[in-house]
Amino acid sequence: MGPALNRNLKRKLAHTLDLPSETLLDQATIHLMGDGEVKISNHKGLVQYTNDCIKTRSVQGMIEVVGSNLEIVSFSSSDIKILGKIRQVMLT
Amino acid sequence: MNSLWMWWQGYVTVRLRGQGLERLLNRIADLGIVVHKVERLTLDVMIVRLNIQDFRRLRPLLWDTQISVSILDKHGAPFYLGKLRSRTFLAIGLSLALLSVIYLSNFIWFVEVVGGTTLSIETLKGVVEDFGLQAGVPRNAVEPRIIEAELLKRFPNLAWAQVSIKGARAEILLTERDGLQSEHTLPGHVYAAHDGVVTEIFVLRGTAKVRDGDTVREGELLVSGEYYDAWGHKQSGAAQGVVKARVWYEAVGEAALTRWEPVYTGRNHRQYTITLGSITIPLGRSYPRETYQKNTEEWQLSLGRAMVPLRLAQIDYQGVEYNKVSVSRQEAETSAYNLAWESLVNQGVEQERVQKEGQRVDVMTDGDGIRVTVQVEVLEDIALFRAH
Repeated sequence: MGPALNRNLKRKLAHTLDLPSETLLDQATIHLMGDGEVKISNHKGLVQYTNDCIKTRSVQGMIEVVGSNLEIVSFSSSDIKILGKIRQVMLT
Repeated sequence: MNSLWMWWQGYVTVRLRGQGLERLLNRIADLGIVVHKVERLTLDVMIVRLNIQDFRRLRPLLWDTQISVSILDKHGAPFYLGKLRSRTFLAIGLSLALLSVIYLSNFIWFVEVVGGTTLSIETLKGVVEDFGLQAGVPRNAVEPRIIEAELLKRFPNLAWAQVSIKGARAEILLTERDGLQSEHTLPGHVYAAHDGVVTEIFVLRGTAKVRDGDTVREGELLVSGEYYDAWGHKQSGAAQGVVKARVWYEAVGEAALTRWEPVYTGRNHRQYTITLGSITIPLGRSYPRETYQKNTEEWQLSLGRAMVPLRLAQIDYQGVEYNKVSVSRQEAETSAYNLAWESLVNQGVEQERVQKEGQRVDVMTDGDGIRVTVQVEVLEDIALFRAH
């Protein structure tokens, strides 16, 4: 069973049983509160951290937070909480 | 809450310097360590905060990297406790201060009166002190409901009284009633305030129960609040009227035919006292009253209408010796007469209302004093309204 097939099976199972897909599929979730706070759960590691751009890996791809005066207020293996003036959140 | 927990556990501010700081952060996170407030200063410098326990786990991660770690600052309870351990007396002092604050917070230190503007603060203070409310008493020794009931009983012009204890402060909230309104809205009768002979009666509302020339006793009904209106219906209301009567008062004054006259010796001393609640601390010695006269001057610390439990007194002792001198009969009679009149004034007699005055002078049985008995006849309004 290949990884793509495995992922499809999990997605169908989550849909059928009405379960949160991020749990089964290990997907990242992004909570954006106004333009001052962003919280990323289920990330797969920090790639780049500057005051203008923070990049993290995720199952879906690269999550890029762009803005100014960005600061990581809390960092753990699963969650990142970022404060600052946020202009863009991109999935690349 | 998180910050408070971090402070309690203790945390360090750490500077990371080198290449690949993001990778190091990921490796730290993989160990289950949470880092806080990560600041990127330059490309190769980062400031992070982490728990003191977690900091010790960093070392193995740095072995195969070119990253240096240095502690910039230490925060939190474990570090404060460490400092206190080396400064024993400071720790003892802080503990004692904390215990003192906790202990002293069980007492009332301020008594504040809000409202009741026509009542004198000294009178109020006297009443509440009788029932255990004063600066310096334990909070649980105060019975607010009993004091409230007593205030309403002692001061009939109070419509409402509330005693509330807020921390170290007792607040007495008072609302005064409009005297006229209360008297004339409640039904009641007019009674005699004193024994006397009625000379004139004028009824404003109600039914007169006595006539001119009647002799009345104290407490006797003078004007009833029950009356018949213009339609012949019986009504019960507040009796009102003026009842003039001849009233007799008697008072006795005594004076000795000898007196002890003080002669100052010139020996003067001064003492100060500090009173905190019910505790008085004297500064300097005191002297016996047989050989010293005492003049006291007091300063009570007050904040507006709040009574603060701190009082300072200056006591001046003047040394005296007493010589026995004789007093003329005339002088003794005058003194005794004045004392008798003082007593009459205290009974409520106004000198200008006196119609007749008589006096009797007796020499006391031991022959060393004069007794003057003064009798006065006064024309006054003896009407006293009492609600049912």
